[in-house]
Amino acid sequence: MFGKHKQTKTPPASVGGMTDTSVLTSQEEEVRAMLARGSTKPALELAKKIHKQLGTQASEALLLDAYVARIRSLLEHGLTVEAKALLELVRERYPYAKDKVADLGVKVAVRQGNWDEVVGALNAPAIPEEKRAAIERVLKCQVTDLSALAECAALAPQHPLRVGAAALRKAIEAVTSGQVTDDALRLPEVSHRGPLGPWKTLVRAIAHFYRQDDVACERCLQNIDPDSAPARLVPALQAMLGRRPGEHRLSTASASLVGQVGGSMEGLRNALRSLDAAFAADAQSKIIPEAQRTISACRAACPELVERLHQHIAIRAVNSEVRPSRLQASMGGPAIQNAYFWRLFARSVEGGADFLAVEACSLWEQFRQHALAEGWFQEDGPEAAALYLHMAELLLEIPSEELIEIRAEFMKGFSGYGHSYEGQPPAVRAVPAKHRTPDFYYLFPEGLFERSCAIDPHREAFERWLDWERQQSDWKTADRVAESWRRALPNDSQPLLYLMESAEERGALNKALGYLEQAEKLDALKPEVRRAALRLLVAQAVRYLRQRKPRRAEEKLVDLEALPQAHETDRPAFLAALRWTGCVILGEDKAASGYFTQVSQLLESPAAAVLICRSAGNACGLEPNEMDRCLPRKVFLDQTDSLAGAVARACALGDDMNVAFTIPREFQREIFKELSDDHCSLEARQLRALAEAALRHSLGELAYAASAAGLAKGGATEARFLLLRARALPSWEFERRSDCLAVTAELARRQRDMALVDEAVDLQRGHGGLGTDFLDPLDTLDEHAFSRTTEQVNAVLKREKQSCTFPVQEPEPFYDRFGEEDEADEEDEEDELPTFGDIARLLLESAKAKVKKKRGQKHQDETSGQRSLF
Amino acid sequence: MNRHRQGVIAAHEDPREILGVAPNAGDEEIRAAYLRKVKENPPDRAPAAFERIRDAYEILRDPRRRALHLLLSADPEAPLVSLLPTRTRERRFTGPGPWLAVMREK
Repeated sequence: MFGKHKQTKTPPASVGGMTDTSVLTSQEEEVRAMLARGSTKPALELAKKIHKQLGTQASEALLLDAYVARIRSLLEHGLTVEAKALLELVRERYPYAKDKVADLGVKVAVRQGNWDEVVGALNAPAIPEEKRAAIERVLKCQVTDLSALAECAALAPQHPLRVGAAALRKAIEAVTSGQVTDDALRLPEVSHRGPLGPWKTLVRAIAHFYRQDDVACERCLQNIDPDSAPARLVPALQAMLGRRPGEHRLSTASASLVGQVGGSMEGLRNALRSLDAAFAADAQSKIIPEAQRTISACRAACPELVERLHQHIAIRAVNSEVRPSRLQASMGGPAIQNAYFWRLFARSVEGGADFLAVEACSLWEQFRQHALAEGWFQEDGPEAAALYLHMAELLLEIPSEELIEIRAEFMKGFSGYGHSYEGQPPAVRAVPAKHRTPDFYYLFPEGLFERSCAIDPHREAFERWLDWERQQSDWKTADRVAESWRRALPNDSQPLLYLMESAEERGALNKALGYLEQAEKLDALKPEVRRAALRLLVAQAVRYLRQRKPRRAEEKLVDLEALPQAHETDRPAFLAALRWTGCVILGEDKAASGYFTQVSQLLESPAAAVLICRSAGNACGLEPNEMDRCLPRKVFLDQTDSLAGAVARACALGDDMNVAFTIPREFQREIFKELSDDHCSLEARQLRALAEAALRHSLGELAYAASAAGLAKGGATEARFLLLRARALPSWEFERRSDCLAVTAELARRQRDMALVDEAVDLQRGHGGLGTDFLDPLDTLDEHAFSRTTEQVNAVLKREKQSCTFPVQEPEPFYDRFGEEDEADEEDEEDELPTFGDIARLLLESAKAKVKKKRGQKHQDETSGQRSLF
Repeated sequence: MNRHRQGVIAAHEDPREILGVAPNAGDEEIRAAYLRKVKENPPDRAPAAFERIRDAYEILRDPRRRALHLLLSADPEAPLVSLLPTRTRERRFTGPGPWLAVMREK
């Protein structure tokens, strides 16, 4: 195998015209490059050739380096015998180089389990500390065969290393063959700090692993020195603890260990991935064979998972419209329809079209029945309450008129899920047998809310229930819910506030005050309670003034003055305006004039004072001539005064006091002019109050101008002004309005202003006073109607900011657009042009077709109210 | 319904399993298990494990969250591969052979 090598000689002066040095330099580089690439065999051959040719000390050094690299490479490739032979050759030929190959000698010895050579030095009584540390380091990193060390003849039988290795060998056998006691893990023969310390920790890690004490096992693994030999087992143990993604990244032996200890999941994992891919691609032809393969793999590798997997596959197959009979045949029967199955099924149906929400509720009811039978929860437990609430939430997604229709259709066609229980175990079949009489309670939100709140009364549930009843029913029903809330949660002031507002809206102010008193007892500092106290006293004072009882009104005004909140912001001005009204009624013109002056001074504007006094007078039922008598005939503004500012301030005060203020006609032109000015100095709050007041009185142009001024300010209030812009637009600008509302919702969502999001969504759906049009069915069904990209948001904002002028030009009638395509026929069939009503009908039909198509995508048998699933 | 903070526990994971309590464990038992687990996994030494334990307890300690988790944790659209157990449940004794083979592997 190895040729003879020339001994070092005195080099000749030159070779082939080149000096020895130059030859060596160029060829040495080549050898070094080969070694660097890992090509140790050709490098050694070349080094031999060079040394044979030159025979210098330098060429010999190069040859030795090549030998060392070659031996190292042989060791790395597990060719220990070859490495040992080459090492002995080097030692024989180049005895002076023994230090250079000393570490290789140790490695070869360790590989061959020949510990005598390594540890022999430890017998010397005066072994240098450095040498001992080096040997211990080798032991720590290289001992993989405890038997070899335990039987090492170079050490005395009682040497701690031999004793420790023997104890560890025994312990490893014990912990991998059965459960062991703590005594067996103590291992006093092995020091934690010694070279076999990591082995001791490994033994304990394995013992904890088999005891299912994963935390202790993990802690031991963390304490194993990563350079030590036992650290090679850490990845496998971590994989078995579930701390690593999968066994496919492990070495062959580690993967084999994981497979032998826990059963290999690799085949099952691959089968599951293929089945997932088949479902994702909706590849009908692949789903059945892949499902079959997966179930087989699961039976072999993880039998406890088979049933659950079968249930998931069955549900996924329903959504992929795989024929149930084929699936059942391929999987050897139906999936077990227990609580887990029904929960999964209900979740898969949620989020579909409206009628699917009804079906989801019926599936949730199936889940409830099975869950109760299987002991998942109690009939009156919080889980049942959460389920009722969840079902109610699902139904609330459906517009109420549609819900009535869908519910009736479902109840008419639904005959239960009895047919799907064929082939089910008796325990599963027993559940529907107990519920033979259909109970459709789950299709009525009010009943669901009632059940939920009876089991688990909490604020959010009552709030949702009350909100829904307020939208759906008369005040009596809503009040009944609030009363239930109050009884269930007597320390919550919220139902009292609702009852108070309800009474206030009906004009039952004394009753409202009664509720307020109770709310004050619970939480007098709550902002809503504080505001309500002010509002109710104002309402009472206004009512007495309307009844022409200014003395009684004055009593309420005195009560009002006693409230600290009545002295905040511009509120004293409003109180003075009410007193002005009282003086007008009593005919005390001089006193009225004094109060007018007071209002003027408080608001720093006679124009605002006129507006407030006039609005207060209107609210209290004063005749215009009575008011005119006590108000200045003409209001003069300083050059620095802003009429729009004064009016906005007054409007904000009106909003605060729950009294709707009217913008006088004679002010409108001036305000409009100010708002259209590029240097409008009004604050966002004032502009908003002004726009709201304008919208209240259908002054779209003024509201539009206020929204333009607000949008020009930019910043966080843009969303709010975009909403005002949408509300100010004329009705025929419905597309633009829709854009503005969608962008408002998007911006509000980004700012986490959920109240504004709700407002925009309600307006888009026609619940916010803008009325519904015939395109709404399309909008309400499109879940992306409110989603806009940043580019779309910016485009709409840019357009609206640039559109400062109120749109007055009506667009061309619809039928012109439809008539474009056939101008030649237009003249002939002039009399037969579709009317607006025809077009509306056409679009309605189109909307219905779209709805039907959407339904059809997920549900083919909609008339029966049930599906053939299994 | 879904306004709670998203923690480090995946939707389909069972918080009871993380705390190591039985499905019908009561509040006291859940609390005791939580304290034991936190002691074993203090935040300074095992922050990831601690977060999982804390989140599991947050779900279980509130009956309403616990109920919601029970209802909404099922995900029919989740990849089927996610059903595989994250750790080896059954642990067979194999003797030292396969273990030492890993050590001897080159």
